[in-house]
Amino acid sequence: MFLPFPLPTRSAAFGVIPAAALLAAVPAVTVMPARAPAASPAAADATAADDGPTNGTLLLRRPGVADALPAIRLGTDMDVTVTGPVARVRVTQAFRNTSGQWMEARYLYPLPEGGAVDGLRMVVGQRVIVGRIHERAQARQIYDQAKAEGRKAGLVEQQRPNMFTTNVANVGPGETVLISIDYQMPVRAAQGTYSLRLPLVIGPRYVPPHSLTSAPAAADADTVTSSPILDPKLRQNLNPVSIAVHLAPGFAPANVISRYHHVRIAGHGDRREIRLASGDVPADRDFELSWRSASADPTIGLFRERSNGQDYVMAAITPPVDDVKRAVPPREMVFVIDNSGSMGGSSMEEAKASLLHALAALRPQDRFNVIRFDDTMTRLFDHSVAATPDQVAVAERFAKGLQADGGTEMLPALKAALADAAVSGTPDMVRQVIFLTDGAISNEQEMLATLGQDGGRSHVFLIGIGSAPNDHLMARMAEIGRGTYTHISTPEEVSARMAALLDTLERPSVRNLSVKVEGMAIDLTPRMLPDLYAGEPLVLLGRTGAVQGTMTISGRIGDRPWSQTVRLADAVPSPAVAKLWARRRIDDVEADRSLGKLEDQAADRQIADLGLEQGLVTSQTSLVAVDETPVRPTGAMLTREELPMNLPAGWDFDTLFGGEAAKAAAANAGTMGERAAQQATAAEALDLPQTATGFLGTLAGGVALLLSGLAGLVLLRRHGSVA
Amino acid sequence: MAAPTTRTGGRAFGRGLVDAALIALCALGIVLTARGAIIPIKAAVAQVLLERAFDRSVAAREPQKPWPWADMAPVARLAIPRLGVDRVVLDTGSGQAMAFGPTLLPGGARLGAPGTTVIAAHRDTHFHFLQRLRLGDRIMAEGLDGRTHRYRVVSTAIVRWDRFAIPEGGEMLALATCYPFDAVRHGPLRYVVFAATDR
Repeated sequence: MFLPFPLPTRSAAFGVIPAAALLAAVPAVTVMPARAPAASPAAADATAADDGPTNGTLLLRRPGVADALPAIRLGTDMDVTVTGPVARVRVTQAFRNTSGQWMEARYLYPLPEGGAVDGLRMVVGQRVIVGRIHERAQARQIYDQAKAEGRKAGLVEQQRPNMFTTNVANVGPGETVLISIDYQMPVRAAQGTYSLRLPLVIGPRYVPPHSLTSAPAAADADTVTSSPILDPKLRQNLNPVSIAVHLAPGFAPANVISRYHHVRIAGHGDRREIRLASGDVPADRDFELSWRSASADPTIGLFRERSNGQDYVMAAITPPVDDVKRAVPPREMVFVIDNSGSMGGSSMEEAKASLLHALAALRPQDRFNVIRFDDTMTRLFDHSVAATPDQVAVAERFAKGLQADGGTEMLPALKAALADAAVSGTPDMVRQVIFLTDGAISNEQEMLATLGQDGGRSHVFLIGIGSAPNDHLMARMAEIGRGTYTHISTPEEVSARMAALLDTLERPSVRNLSVKVEGMAIDLTPRMLPDLYAGEPLVLLGRTGAVQGTMTISGRIGDRPWSQTVRLADAVPSPAVAKLWARRRIDDVEADRSLGKLEDQAADRQIADLGLEQGLVTSQTSLVAVDETPVRPTGAMLTREELPMNLPAGWDFDTLFGGEAAKAAAANAGTMGERAAQQATAAEALDLPQTATGFLGTLAGGVALLLSGLAGLVLLRRHGSVA
Repeated sequence: MAAPTTRTGGRAFGRGLVDAALIALCALGIVLTARGAIIPIKAAVAQVLLERAFDRSVAAREPQKPWPWADMAPVARLAIPRLGVDRVVLDTGSGQAMAFGPTLLPGGARLGAPGTTVIAAHRDTHFHFLQRLRLGDRIMAEGLDGRTHRYRVVSTAIVRWDRFAIPEGGEMLALATCYPFDAVRHGPLRYVVFAATDR
């Protein structure tokens, strides 16, 4: 029943970190000669292969720690314009070289869920150089050549759909280069609330060793983990961000709230201007802005854009909310909780509190199980059990005892949660798998593929924990798993968000959705329609020759059919619909790739074509900007620097980087009880013996045999005497 | 009753066969019942013998065997006043010794020594009371030297048998048994009660 992958040695499982792990960490600053443009990827390959899966105990690939301030200082300004259903964001990164050397800098930057980068500008002194879209390899070549020739160059590459890197080469001593990146993203609407979530930092990702199968795989993992993390002991405000949002939702907004940052709000009527109250903040948590409509909630939003001789439409349709309280049929709920090192700090407390909240809501007729995972996994019960008060009490104790440590092997936990469906409950019993995690992993594709293949009758709900969860992974998992995605970023949000989620879980979803378009041929995305839960809209994007006719969406709410028809000609013009369509279509292509419906090469080709056509940065296309004038004197060396990131707020630096503080905390713990609870920090492994005689079973079996034998004899005698 | 004799004979033979099978079933049932029943009886009787051996050991200041052919000896006496529990603890962690009483695991610390002393016993005999232990309960362990060590229950945990680790430093007592308590089959989970020195 246990792990489908080789067990780590016990020392790794208990967080006794081999010194080799820290030594193997990627150095913060890589110095390389200017005239070896190809050295960068090659060097990455070499280091990645070296500290890869060769050593069985070295499971957690650690990002480096920056214990000195970087030579290049980065400041970021975000200028966000919300127009109706779309937000357009301009991120301006100022790279200031404080050293006396010529520098190249690389910075890993997050992108919101559904965001699509389509613009790059590099400002050098008085000149503005506009970036152009190229296929990835070609863009890299252009950049490397410019770098080698001493010209300024900027390159934006996608590493994950929600993660990209900015490279800037040949920044002179004392010089500042501005790189500005444009992207757009859809505004999320649910239950009458519109929201915009802008990630500002990426939590260090865990790379499962089994995913490092080849040099390209290792290089890929390296790109998402090589950014060093600034040691918080430096107490430096690194990577300051200023944010301004120009809000024009098309209606009078009300309840404009920034959940995690203090803001000043100005303006009236249909417009608002939102700025950070303190000017700038360190980039260490997501920025979230939400608003409502002052008037009644619109249930249909129809938008269109004409681009390159084609019409693009976006339709957001919200099915009616079923408000009737019905008896909820018995359900099976499987909770999967992440207690890996990245959850250390307030995240673990939030996850535990959320789990306890959910456990408290179980009814005796429900069935449930709890699975915890770090780089190992425990199923509390072999299979789901009835939620009797005793069993729930066991689960509560189990949850309270969880400690964050170790790597993040999420795949085995997902497989375990899904595999149990075959033996637990009846096929028509509602089965809900609830994940509590920050999703800090690098093997997202593998997760989605597994979920797509083995999802079965399970519905998967994601609760993104912490200040900077991996939105892309969780939104996609919720979609493929026909569930929802909820954020819990602060301890204060636990009860409100969990109550809302539990309420959602009790209501019937809108299932079996289908779309019929009359009057024209249209290329719609997403192709796989999700299930919808209370108040969530269905967002469809389509491309067609000329918009006309009607679109009918139908499905089932609970046991009743539902359908709605919209006239597409009523759509109002909106910018960026074309690009959002392309971005969504790329997700479809990636989904087909995950599910094995599309060969790698064909998928890459389709993505590259979409990227080139719409000018988007994708996994296959990059933006590159090159100055024509060489500036670096011949012979001057170029120093390359990976710019450090802040640790996301609430993450525990020490849990992640070797447990020094965890040990200190154990030593200082006031009571022995706390020390006992922290046994994992400094501990000696001990196997516990088999401690059950099982005599009751033997006794019961014996008595049963004896009684049946006697009963048989008595019957036989009686029968015999009658005969 | 005028059935042909051959048929009667066949019937009698068949009945004899069924009879024999049912008697065998009864016999098997008796054997199993006895094997099941002997376990708690053995566990209870052994404790009486062990108590005497323990008193002798304390008097002699060294372990005394409870019966001549025993390959283990008592090392401590465990008492939980609130539950009226009194158990004699044996010195080897073997499954054989565990039939007679809780045993001190060799992987843990010795009683009264720095570190964590781990005592394990069966969930359905000697450590059945573990499920009734509450936080704050007092546990007393008397060693062969006649000294009594006092502990107080500070936490409980459910762990996998191969995922257990004892905390270093401090002086603690851990009582371990199988989990869940009412399970019939053997499972991978263990229930551990941690108690800290009570001064």
